[in-house]
Amino acid sequence: MIKQVENPIIEIHDLSVAYERKPVLWDVDLSLPEGQLIGIIGPNGAGKSTLLKAIMGLLPLNSGYIQINGKPLEEMRHKISYVPQRESVDWDFPTSVYEVVMMGRYGQLGLFNRPKKADAEIVMDSLRKVGMDEFKNRQISQLSGGQQQRVFLARALAQQADIYFMDEPFAGVDAATEKAIIKLLGEMSAQNKTVIVVHHDLQSVAKYFDWIILLNMRLVASGPINEAFTPELLQETYGGKLTLLTEISDLIQKHRFPNRE
Amino acid sequence: MWENALSFFDFDDTNVIYVSLGTIILGAGAAVVGSFTFFRKKALIGDAIAHAILPGVCLAFILSGTKNYFLLISGAFFTGWLSIIAVDYIVKKSKIKEDTAIGLILSVFFGVGIMLLTYIQQSGNAAQTGLDSFLFGKAASMLAQDVIVFSAISIILVFMILLFYKELKLITYDKDFAQSIGLPVKWIEFLLSSLTVLAVVTGIQAVGVVLMAALLITPTAAAKYWSGSLSVILILAAIIGGFSGVSGAFISYIAPNMPTGPWVVMVLSLFAIFSILFAPKKGYFSRLLQQLKNRKQIQDENILKAFHQIAEAEDNFGEAKSLEKLREKRYYTTRLMKRILLRLKRQGYLRRTKEGFFLSDYGQRKAARLVKLHRLWELYLTEYLRIAPDHVHEDADTIEHIITPELEKRLEEKLGYPEVDPHNSKIPYD
Ligand SMILES: Nc1ncnc2c1ncn2[C@@H]1O[C@H](COP(=O)(O)OP(=O)(O)O)[C@@H](O)[C@H]1O
Ligand SMILES: [Mg+2]
Repeated sequence: MIKQVENPIIEIHDLSVAYERKPVLWDVDLSLPEGQLIGIIGPNGAGKSTLLKAIMGLLPLNSGYIQINGKPLEEMRHKISYVPQRESVDWDFPTSVYEVVMMGRYGQLGLFNRPKKADAEIVMDSLRKVGMDEFKNRQISQLSGGQQQRVFLARALAQQADIYFMDEPFAGVDAATEKAIIKLLGEMSAQNKTVIVVHHDLQSVAKYFDWIILLNMRLVASGPINEAFTPELLQETYGGKLTLLTEISDLIQKHRFPNRE
Repeated sequence: MWENALSFFDFDDTNVIYVSLGTIILGAGAAVVGSFTFFRKKALIGDAIAHAILPGVCLAFILSGTKNYFLLISGAFFTGWLSIIAVDYIVKKSKIKEDTAIGLILSVFFGVGIMLLTYIQQSGNAAQTGLDSFLFGKAASMLAQDVIVFSAISIILVFMILLFYKELKLITYDKDFAQSIGLPVKWIEFLLSSLTVLAVVTGIQAVGVVLMAALLITPTAAAKYWSGSLSVILILAAIIGGFSGVSGAFISYIAPNMPTGPWVVMVLSLFAIFSILFAPKKGYFSRLLQQLKNRKQIQDENILKAFHQIAEAEDNFGEAKSLEKLREKRYYTTRLMKRILLRLKRQGYLRRTKEGFFLSDYGQRKAARLVKLHRLWELYLTEYLRIAPDHVHEDADTIEHIITPELEKRLEEKLGYPEVDPHNSKIPYD
């Protein structure tokens, strides 16, 4: 079940990605509607983070291309926000909550320019939205998991983008934080922002998202929640059908075959 | 020797002023650049660069036959960069891990360097004297014009770091995010690597090849104990680096036959050790003190709880409790017990009559709260985490000392102000 949309905000065409020759994404081809809350669902190691990184241009592509609003990524970067997995950074780095959120303004600021008063206001505004304004001077090393995630979210808000990619924003956060975050994401999509979230708790999928992408090395489904969130498709995503693909991936890596002719 | 020391401080020799200023700037520059290698967890790469510079210096010398600093630095820069590229290439194209690759490159480059140096020494070229100061550093042998060249490079380094501070901080903390906002990450990394190579080339004047990595890394390792802000850490590291640098120059003066490097590193290490031991909050003694305080608090609270438990069993809160009964609840030595009791009396939790110690009103409330927390937590563990009732006591015994009033409130609400704990003991509310 792969539903393509008219005038997609994001279009991924025949995307394949490999790490040191080991393919992890095969021929992903999808398009996504604007202004929706979209979940990327799949088991561990399915390539969810890889898909986000590929879209953000952080990885070399084996094949395919990506268009945002019909344009190449480079022209649209200032409209896009990316929230990496929380564990991908060193939380002992000597800096404060405020400074991390200010990093969300760096893209707009450009090289050499210092933050201005307007940037400071945007930062404080973002901190208030995630309920972290009281912690603005706190060392990031002193935050709990939920607070770390809120800080990352505030940084994304400070970017004032139209499209948000978030890698596991609910991983390891407390229930209160999860509730606060999903509420915020709902408000964002109500303002016609497109929010794409990697998620792996199947229980809450139907409640949270308008549209889902089921992924396990290949695209299993992409469509509105009531069409794509079915037991058969979930079985296909999480079931054992993909062992063949995994084995071939390993073979390619071992024998150093080219992924493409 | 002491005349030398005095003349160092006289500054009558203009060269002394030059060298002192020069080594301050060298040390500070290396420390500031080194901060970023430190926080990018690439401490070892400085070591690789330092060793890889030797063959470059020797080659430049062999090819030109003179000690032209411009050529020597160019040679050093070339092989220094080559080592970075080689390490990156090995890591990317093979299964070899970064530390192994660094070790490999370091020894190969350094081996070639020593070979070339031996060749130069045996060829008896008169201009070679001073080349071996590259090995161990000899700040005092620098001439005014060398000092100017190297200081200028260091100042440029610091200037570049200030110019790109925002970007360097971002790629150090979160490289993927930096790339996602369109920052030229590759380019900035190239810049930082170049700055590191230059910092090594200049810093080597003060400490030599072998100890150069210490000049890059140790100032930050010490400074980070004193602050949680990158900009403050950079300033502190610069001060520590500068001070250590000039102390090396000073040693060079009072003992001209002494290699400078080891002395600079000695001073650096003293800074580091001092920081590790004495820094507030993060230092060893500060932590030790905190632990001691925690232990006393736990002892105090345990005894208060014991008072409450005995009173509860006897249904008599007013009367003094004997030492023996208390010791049945908590097996502290009599001496320790007396110390704790006196401490609690000082704090107003206990009163003393000739029969013994008993809880003050204030102490009674505090003791009741502790017992309540203990029992609430036991209940929470059994109800929410499904832990068997006979396993929860130890956990609760530590947790009760940490729970804050906010958590206490949430716990009460979540459990709905229960009457009794899993062992059917009454939970006291006030
Ligand atoms: N940097 C990397 N180098 C090599 N393999 C990687 C790297 N990152 C991820 N992988 C592999 O790619 C696959 C997909 O990973 P990832 O995208 O992180 O999955 P997910 O986010 O769905 O859990 C996994 O098998 C993982 O081991
Ligand atoms: Mg992932």
